[in-house]
Amino acid sequence: MFLVVFFLLPALIMVVASLRYPGEFGGLAPLVSTRPGEEAGLTLESYRVFFSDWVYFEIFAKSFGVAVLTTLVCLLMAYPVAALIARSPKRYRDMMVLLVVLPFASNFLVRVYAWMIMLGPFELLFSRFAVICGMVYVHLPFMILPLYTNLEKHDPALLDAAQDLGANAWQRFWRVTFPLSLPGVFSGSALVFIPVLGMFAIPEILGGKDDWIVGNMIKESFLGTRDWPFGSMLSLMLTLAVLAVAAAASWLAGRRMSRA
Amino acid sequence: MRKLALGIEALAIAVLFGSFLASGGKLLLAGAAAALLALAGVLGLAGKRREMPGFWLWFVSLLAYAFLYIPLVIVVIFSFNDSKLNAEWVGFTTAWYLKLFSDEDMLRAALNSLSIACGAAAIATVLGTMAGLSMHRFKPKLLPFLVFTPVAMPEILLGVSLLIFFLNSVSPALGALGIDFGLGLTTVVIAHVTFCIGFVAIIVRARLAGMDESIFEAARDLGATPWQTFRLVTLPLIMPGVIAGALMAFTLSIDDFVITFFTSGVGTKTLPLEIYTMIKVAVTPEVNAVSALLMALTLGMIMIAAKLAPDLMQAKT
Amino acid sequence: MPRIFAALAATALALSTGAARAGPNDVLRMFNWNNYMTEEAVTRFEARCNCRLAQDYYSDNEEMLAKLAAGARGYDLLVPTGNAVEALIKSDQLRPLDKSKIPNLKNIKPQHLNPWFDPGNVYSVPYAYSLTIVGYNVERMRELGLPTDSLAVIFDPQYLRKVERKVTVLDSQRELFAAALKYLGYSANESGEAKLKQARDLILRAKPYWAAFNAASYFKELTVGNVWLAHGYSNDFFTAQQDARNAGRKFSIGFSIPKEGAVFALDNLVMHKSGKRPDLAYQFIDFWLEGRASAELTNAIGAGSPNQAAMPLIDPQIAANEAIFPGPEKFRQLEMLRDYDRRLRRTLSRLWVEIKVR
Repeated sequence: MFLVVFFLLPALIMVVASLRYPGEFGGLAPLVSTRPGEEAGLTLESYRVFFSDWVYFEIFAKSFGVAVLTTLVCLLMAYPVAALIARSPKRYRDMMVLLVVLPFASNFLVRVYAWMIMLGPFELLFSRFAVICGMVYVHLPFMILPLYTNLEKHDPALLDAAQDLGANAWQRFWRVTFPLSLPGVFSGSALVFIPVLGMFAIPEILGGKDDWIVGNMIKESFLGTRDWPFGSMLSLMLTLAVLAVAAAASWLAGRRMSRA
Repeated sequence: MRKLALGIEALAIAVLFGSFLASGGKLLLAGAAAALLALAGVLGLAGKRREMPGFWLWFVSLLAYAFLYIPLVIVVIFSFNDSKLNAEWVGFTTAWYLKLFSDEDMLRAALNSLSIACGAAAIATVLGTMAGLSMHRFKPKLLPFLVFTPVAMPEILLGVSLLIFFLNSVSPALGALGIDFGLGLTTVVIAHVTFCIGFVAIIVRARLAGMDESIFEAARDLGATPWQTFRLVTLPLIMPGVIAGALMAFTLSIDDFVITFFTSGVGTKTLPLEIYTMIKVAVTPEVNAVSALLMALTLGMIMIAAKLAPDLMQAKT
Repeated sequence: MPRIFAALAATALALSTGAARAGPNDVLRMFNWNNYMTEEAVTRFEARCNCRLAQDYYSDNEEMLAKLAAGARGYDLLVPTGNAVEALIKSDQLRPLDKSKIPNLKNIKPQHLNPWFDPGNVYSVPYAYSLTIVGYNVERMRELGLPTDSLAVIFDPQYLRKVERKVTVLDSQRELFAAALKYLGYSANESGEAKLKQARDLILRAKPYWAAFNAASYFKELTVGNVWLAHGYSNDFFTAQQDARNAGRKFSIGFSIPKEGAVFALDNLVMHKSGKRPDLAYQFIDFWLEGRASAELTNAIGAGSPNQAAMPLIDPQIAANEAIFPGPEKFRQLEMLRDYDRRLRRTLSRLWVEIKVR
């Protein structure tokens, strides 16, 4: 797999760039600054502000709440679709997958506006409900696709065997299908959970007065306050938090699978 | 029992996004729900064999498809709306399509977006698949971190850092070699590939998880070269994952605004750049028109591709 | 499938290069707000200079500044708002203007010349402007007997009670704080922490009655009737008003400058140092200052025109609108936003986070 190198290259570009900015951005002080601050001092200052204040923690907690809810709703909606596609005759499968993705060739903003048009008359616009609706809508394929990918490879013989052993439909699902699909569930959840946290457009357009999440705060730091060090710090915190959650999840998954 | 579970789930979903339909009490929507129910019934009953999905599965899935497509129907309907603000139905007009066809900037942006999305999806799929495979095979320590980070990183940060990197590192380095490297389509594609790889890799790894290593060993024992093993055994096995990853990369790339804004060069136009910046003035139905057109175009191209090379579309499992 | 994508990419790329305009080689590159110039103006200018006007767009000064700060190069002309002009001047990114090449500068109304951010107009000439004011559903306001000439309607619970959850305010810390400070009788650029905290408390008291902080979609909802009262930009309200009228809705949209004063945002043409075609840039500036293009913009989106020569070409109804062309009395009450320094920006952002979370 020498070609791994070709993959590593752009990823390294990314990582190098991402490692650079605490210094760079601190040095590259906001445009109107009068005195060039010291890099290290600046960076630490951002962290001090962050850790000395519960407000930021509250926003993180709220964002995780929104992300968890979105992920759960996505999972509930996506599982049947993925299962259906996986069990359909082969010649229809690709078409059905394509149908899941096709709406996403239209522009994001127009789709969100369509939601505004739908939610407006019911007084549901500018609410948490609207935000979750929008989030689920935008991220649903990211749950359906990994789930389908995983479910598709399951051997029907396993279910037959389970049935022969006397398992009813519920048991077959809960004891056989679901545990086997866990990798799909986990990757789907990761692909929904993570982008939701960084999303700012949906809370901006559909959200009410209390629907600010981390993504908004980060955008505000870069494009509102022109405070790049603070924005970078928030991003780094978010990335770390997400990686921690991902690591915890995969550790749990590993344990569960090794037991099974 | 399973029907019960699915039924409960259907109920949950129905409550979730049906609550606003019901609160409006719109007959039309109730009718649509009834039609869905009937359709699900017919499709569910049509499958007599046990392997065929049953009624509830169809019902919930159709509900989910409806959830995906109802806004889309609105997008298309409103592309004929005789209103600049496009907030409510005013009257029928085809003026926006006519405007679109004479709007070279918008059309070029649409084509650019499409080619960037296809290019980025193709590259990211190849690289992401390899990453997914090697994560599964070699269990490297650092790779998952490299793959996950771009996915987890907020896009503004990624955009800004890539821009700084392109301008301050890549450009001077290549300039020293006599290559003139500026921002443009290339940088946009590179940036898109960077954040798409993770998505593809994750999905491919999910496909591989729990797969039996012995298949690959058997292939090797039978004298297959590594390339043959990959081509004849691995690839067909992971094909659905690869396709799903490619589709995902495509949707991510075609819709990206923030990263594109920062990494695009002077005069590089993509559809999101044209559209998002309208937010300050008014996003006109022309955008709906171009969206509808783009979807039709995407569908058409894939159909043609599927007709010309049907074996490429087949998930050989 | 990847092969399909590659094939698709090749086709699309071929199509897009084929579709690229085979025009003149002279290109003027402009970084502008989207839809901030009419197509007629673009066509006329291209015919005159025998060149191509290529515009890239941004939707926010901050996006433009961030991209330039990170090192983007190659734009001849930018259209930043006053405070962003100051930022660009201070970071030494602009080219001083040779006034002898822009004779039409004489068309600019004297009140818009010599602005605080660029004394003597060394680097900038006014392009167009907007105001941050209050827009409302005329019929609803009349029914409920609410005043429409004061910021009290968006800050005073006594009035807010009647329009609970039908009000939106701008999702912009500076704009909202400016409104609150104005309402309290201070300057929009107040820098005392105590006064800023007073403004925060005012905002927090009013927040329970608001529906949303919104800068992206409020005017759509205003024109449909889901929102009755909004703190927003004059251009947006103008568009909402037009839309409500064209759609034949039962209500109309009005907007007015509050008696406490308002924020005035003047957008300017400036030349970036990295631009390769200052000659074309000068041509464009002088073309814009002729007045016709400026009048077209005002008629199309309701942007204020700082150009005297444009006035006769502007729809008389718009020219008479006090909320777009305020008289001298009102004009004195308007204030342009100035950038806060780094320390104050952090203070404000901290207060803003509190507002968003509490």
